Order: sequence, then C-alpha cells, then structure tokens
Amino acid sequence: MSATEELRASARPSPLRSLATVIAVELAAAVLLRLFLLSDDTAVIVALLALMGAGFALLQIRPAIEDAIVAAFGEARLAALLLGGIIVLAYPFFLNGSSYALHLLIIAQLYAVLALALNFQLGSANIPNFATGASYGIGAYTSALLAIHFGISFWLALPVAALVATVFGFLLGFPSMRTKESYLALVTIAFGIVIHQLLNNFSWTGGPNGLVGIPAPILFGHSFARPLEVFGHRLPSQANFYYLSAALVALSILSARRLHDSRVGLAWNALRADELAARCQGINVVWYKMLAFGVDAFLAAFAGTVYAFYVSYISPDNFTFIVSVTIMTMVIVGGMDNTLGVILGAFLLTLLPEKLRIFSDYRLLFVSVVVILFLVLRPQGLFQQRARHYGGK
Amino acid sequence: MDSLLAQHLVNWMVLGSIYALVALGFSLLFGVLNVIHFSHGDVSIVAPFVALAVIQILFAGVLPAGAGWALVVALGVAIVVTGLLGILLDWLVIRRFRGAPAMMALVATVALGSVVRELIRMFYPQGSNPKPFPALIRDSVQIGGVQISAFSVLVVLVSVLMVTLLFWIMHRTPIGLRIRAVAEDRDIARLMAINPNRIFAVTFFLASAVGAIGGLFFASHAGVVRFDFGIQLGLIGFSAAVIGGLGSMHGAIIGSLLIAGIDTLVQVTVPDGASYRMVFIFLLVICVLVLKPSGMLGKPVFEKV
Repeated sequence: MSATEELRASARPSPLRSLATVIAVELAAAVLLRLFLLSDDTAVIVALLALMGAGFALLQIRPAIEDAIVAAFGEARLAALLLGGIIVLAYPFFLNGSSYALHLLIIAQLYAVLALALNFQLGSANIPNFATGASYGIGAYTSALLAIHFGISFWLALPVAALVATVFGFLLGFPSMRTKESYLALVTIAFGIVIHQLLNNFSWTGGPNGLVGIPAPILFGHSFARPLEVFGHRLPSQANFYYLSAALVALSILSARRLHDSRVGLAWNALRADELAARCQGINVVWYKMLAFGVDAFLAAFAGTVYAFYVSYISPDNFTFIVSVTIMTMVIVGGMDNTLGVILGAFLLTLLPEKLRIFSDYRLLFVSVVVILFLVLRPQGLFQQRARHYGGK
Repeated sequence: MDSLLAQHLVNWMVLGSIYALVALGFSLLFGVLNVIHFSHGDVSIVAPFVALAVIQILFAGVLPAGAGWALVVALGVAIVVTGLLGILLDWLVIRRFRGAPAMMALVATVALGSVVRELIRMFYPQGSNPKPFPALIRDSVQIGGVQISAFSVLVVLVSVLMVTLLFWIMHRTPIGLRIRAVAEDRDIARLMAINPNRIFAVTFFLASAVGAIGGLFFASHAGVVRFDFGIQLGLIGFSAAVIGGLGSMHGAIIGSLLIAGIDTLVQVTVPDGASYRMVFIFLLVICVLVLKPSGMLGKPVFEKV
C-alpha cells in the first residue's frame, strides 16, 4: 500500500461513524432552520446567525472538518438521502401549523430552483446571465395567461410555460454566440429590462397591475387552495405548495446532478476553464452555451409557474433586474457550481431579509452589506466547488 | 428652421450630454482598472443631494434672488464631495476586487449601489421622498430665430468643456500620462515608479466628479431628484459606455448620443413613447452588441493561445 493510499484509508471514516455524522448534521440543520423560522425574538435570530457565522468561521480555519462531513455523506449516501427525504416530508408537521413559516419555505425553495437554474450557466460554464428573473417572469406570465384565458390546468400550463421560456432562452442565447463577459452581461441585462418593460406596458399582460385571479391547481380532486389533511392532521393550504415546490427542488437537484455528471456538464466546465482549449478539443462551444441558456430558462419557468399559481397574483415588479441580481447573489454567496451551497445561499438570502423585518427599514442596507462582506471575506462562497472525482472512492 | 424640430434636436443634445458625462466615468474606470463600477450611477446621483444640503445649510432652503454665486458654491461642493465619495468607495470596497473575476466585482458594485441608495433613503432628511431640484438657469436665448432654454445651452457647453478637459488631462498632463501607463500595464508602470493605488484614486475622483456633473444636470433637467434615480442613470450610462466600446472615451460619447437619439426619437414618434422608451433603448443595445460584439469603438478581442 502506497503512502497516499494509506493516508486515504485512514481518512475514510468507518460506516457507523459516517452514519452518525449524517444523522447529526441533517437533524441539526432541520432543528436550527425550525428555530429560525418560528422565532419572533430578534435576540434568538441574531444568536442563530452568530452560530452559523461561527460554524463557517470554523470551516474556514479547519477545512478538514468540511472534508470529513462530505466524505461521511459520500459513504452513507443512501441513508443521507432517505433521512433528508423524511425530514422534508415531515417538516410541515413540526411548524405548529404556522402558515407564515410555510410561506417562507415555499419562497425559499422557489429561489433555490432559480439559483440552481442560474448555476448551470454562472457556476458550471461561467456565463454571466442577468435575465433569470425575466425567464422566471415569462414562465409565470405564460402559465397565468393560459390558465386565466383558456382555462388550462396547472399541470398542462407547467410544461407549456417551460417550453415558451426555453424558446426565449435560446433567443437570448443567440447573441451570446458573439459577445463575451461584460458585453454579454449587458445583453442579458438589456433582455431582462426589455421583458420587464414590455410586461409593464402591454395591455394583455395587465400592465403595471399585473394578472389577478390565477386559479389554484387541482390534483385528484383536491384543490391546492384547501387545507391539506393527512392522518387526521390539518396542515394549512400552503402545505400543498410546500410539497409541490419541494418536489421541484428535488427535480432540480436531480437534473443538476445528472447534468454535472454527464458529458454536458463536463463540456460546460471545459468552457469555464478555457473556451479556446475547449473548442480545440472538439467541443461545440456555441451549442453548449445556447444549451446553458435553454436549461436556465426551462427551470426558471417551472419556478415562475409555481409562483404564479401559489400567490395567484403576479405583476411585472416581481420580475425586475433586481430579482435577477438577487438570484445571481445567491449563487455567488452559496458557492458556484456547488448544489448544496447554492440552495443554502437561496435559503439564507430569502429568509434573512424576511426575518430582519424588525429592522424593517435597514433590511436592504443590511443585506447589501452582508453580500459585500461575503464577497470580500469568503469569495469562494459558503461551500466551494469540489473537484470532480471519478470511479472508486 | 422648424422650431419643433429644433426643440427635439436640443433635447437630444441635452440628454446625450448628460448620459455622456456618466458614461465617460464607466469607460474611464473600465479602461484603467478593468472593473465595472456598477454603482457609478448611484454615486453620480449623490451630487444633487449634496448640493441641496449645502443650499439648505447656507440659506435654509431658499435661494435668495441674484445669489448665483451661492448656487455655484453648492454645485462645486457637490462635485468635489462626490469625487471624494468615489475614492472612499474604492478604498473601502472596490480595491478588494482588483484580482477577482469580473462577475464578483460586478455583483459587489451592484450591492454597493444599493448601499449608497439605502444610505440616502435612511439618513438624508426625508430621503425616500422626491425632492424638487432648482433649475440652474431660467432664462432662454435666441439662436437662429429659435427660442432655446439657457439651461440646454449650459448643459451642452459644460459637457463639451468637461470632455475637452478630460481629454486634455489624459493626453497633455503628467498625471494623464501616468493614468494611461497604469491602464496599459500595471506592473510595468510600477517599475517606472508610479504608485498604481494613487492613480486609481485619481481616476475614481475624476470619474465620480464628472459623473456628479451628469447627476446634477439630470436632476435639474427633471426638476426633481429621488434616491433611486441612480439605477436608471447608471444603467443607461453603462449601456452607452458598453455599446460605444468599454475603455474608449470617444465610444462613450458616441454611445450616449446614439442612446439619447433613440430616446428622443421614440418619445416623439411612437405613440405612448414615454412608456416604451426603455424597451427601445435596450433593444438598440442588444442590436448593436449583436452586430459589433465589443462595441462600436471597442478593440476586437483576439484570442491567443
């Protein structure tokens, strides 16, 4: 056994230990999130944030801990997935029926989907895109218009909206074949503003007033506007959308995983590393860039559709340039090309402003300062991207 | 000449001048630091607030008749303070992103812009309300038989003067030579005993002070100023600098005139044009970038292995 192999073997945790680590980490995360969601006490929230800050400071000082946890999750993968799934399914039952906490979770999950969508571009392929908010809006408006004017059900509107947004995504990808970096960033900014302004001015999109009265989805005769009853437990109606958006997050994680492991993900990473070298390796740069725009728009439209049917009222102001910047911030703060990091970034940046309502006036200021501090102190994000590893352990 | 047409032409020139003053800052900063300073629009709009504060402090808000000098003092203070604010923001935040990927700096400066906006909103007295901004001059002048407001003439003249001054500084003074040297190669410039950080500070001062003049004119043109005007001004200035070709000062001016042109044209010819002007401006931006991917006067990027 060579020295490196020996070192690796000694670093590999025993199965029992990794199982314990997985359970401890997942339960701790769930409990802390619950405390954070249900607490009204500013002191508790600040204490929780401080705890989290301390946690990341520890990871910063001792990266070995992060590696150990990641290794444990790799070892006990099935258990981790199973426990994670159970926690997500059981979570609404432990929220004391608080519809506000569920609402926060739904919005955070939708932003997680958006951030994962953008991550394909920004994280994997390093293509700046400030138009995710626009794709989100296109999805929301398409499905809402279909539902209001043609009575089309949510389940049919979902794929149609995604297809329409994807077409727009490819349309936006078209100029991306020629422009680069800041110039490309401006093209996407311009696209986002054009879409927002058009939504704001057309009469058939309701202008600045938006669209009202989007009907709630119905599944097997159960309207999503009605409370959910499971095993005699009565959950607020938000629980329907909680499970729907959780399913969407799961789908996004799965597709992120599959794409990352596929030739497509590898091609995107090659683009990020060096576009010219990628082209020399026979990678069709144009196609993969366009594909990144398409995938981003597709997932963003899913989130948009769920959002539209959830709040049943959308207006252009839900889909501004600032929304796109927020999504981009989530990806960067969370950690580019790291699925877990991006989701955490989305949760943090959705929940933090909501929970800081006590400082209501200083909220935006505080969040902006936090973002700047993050970029300065931990530029790689909460969790940095991990090196690909192939086969074996 | 048709007086309506003349009016539109004057309007075009005024808008073009205001946008150019802001766009020049973007281009200058990008050329020297290779950084997109997205909060430049917000920094520029700080100037009218400073000017209002000075007027408030000196005269309790009411300009005495014939006190032209007071207005000049207020504007001068505003320009200098805004220039110093640029240096401060660089020192506090932007310098930490010198070696970072471009997107990092972009997102950081977007957040920085939001900090500037929020600070005005929170800490300026009644900062969230729109504030009336005084007209700089009220008279009008006769040029070629057409009545033109003196303000328009002032805007265009001052802008031309500022652009000339900027070109003169960049190409005829030792400091300009140093700025160009740092823009060309930071490390070689250091070998020539130039302190890049000092040059960056000077560049930030110049860009922010010129932007401040743009912000003051913008406020005076609109007759009112609000804390979030900086977003629009910044986006348009940035667009003008980009379609002209980032780093090129001529490009920034041409880009501004082009954007102001389409802005005026749409408002005049398209029914309900005022609400569609942003659509047309940004469609133009997309079209220009599709045809000329690195802007009109930008250097084409050659990739070398």
